[in-house]
Amino acid sequence: MLNTILIAVVMMLILGGILGLGLGFADRFLKVEADERVEKVTELLPGYNCGGCGYPGCSGMAEALVSGEMDSILCKPCKQDKKQEIIDYLKNTPGPDGNTINLKG
Amino acid sequence: MSELVTLLVTSVLINNVILNQFLGMCPFMGVSKKKSSALGMGVAVVFVIVVAAIVTYGLYYLVLVPLGLEFMELITFILVIASLVQLTEMFIKKYSPSLYKSLGVYLPLITTNCVVLNVCLVNITNTYDFSHMLVYSVGTPLGFALVLYIFSTIRERLELSNVPKAFRGNGIALICAAIMSMAFSGLAGIV
Repeated sequence: MLNTILIAVVMMLILGGILGLGLGFADRFLKVEADERVEKVTELLPGYNCGGCGYPGCSGMAEALVSGEMDSILCKPCKQDKKQEIIDYLKNTPGPDGNTINLKG
Repeated sequence: MSELVTLLVTSVLINNVILNQFLGMCPFMGVSKKKSSALGMGVAVVFVIVVAAIVTYGLYYLVLVPLGLEFMELITFILVIASLVQLTEMFIKKYSPSLYKSLGVYLPLITTNCVVLNVCLVNITNTYDFSHMLVYSVGTPLGFALVLYIFSTIRERLELSNVPKAFRGNGIALICAAIMSMAFSGLAGIV
């Protein structure tokens, strides 16, 4: 009885270890190159997800800003100093392709 | 050989997982609104089921039976399925972000899709040999993908038609599913 439990536990541990290792390697090969600026801009936006800008939530707008789809911060609830912070951040931080983004005020 | 063909036709059309066994209803209702996402879901499920069936079959007969641990089949199978779904999710996220977005929460939910576990368990309980197991595990998800795709074309058409107000949305979709199920049971005579 005790032996069976021990075998079962060890078997599960080994199986879990193998599968975990496999997933770990797969993660390394299938990594998505995420632009970390999107995350930072999302943090700087107010986070109300009001949708007033026409994008699905603040993360949608941050993506549009970083991809250059939107050239000025059309965010109603965003405070002026926060807007300036985003503009400065995107002006000074180059993306993965080495380019920076200049937004209008 | 003819036995294998019979098994294939049976698992795709006659004993269809969705319309005759009523398994996998969650993605059937959830991702059938658009043809493209239904097709993507179908392909993902075919991949997960075929690989999961082969791996669990091997695991059962090469590891669990020699160790006398047949009672552990459920938990080991779920472990294998969950890892495979994670792998599929990473793969789709990398190579098709638009499909990843349109499948949404239903992609990780393949883990709890009862079709996957059902195929793995039926392979064991029916004591299929390797070729029967392979045919059954390809046929069942193909039937799933086929019905999902047909249903998505019906639903795209439904969007444009003038449905009575009380039946709009999921109501009329469920009625269509019931009619499809009756139509598919008419195929029972061909084998």
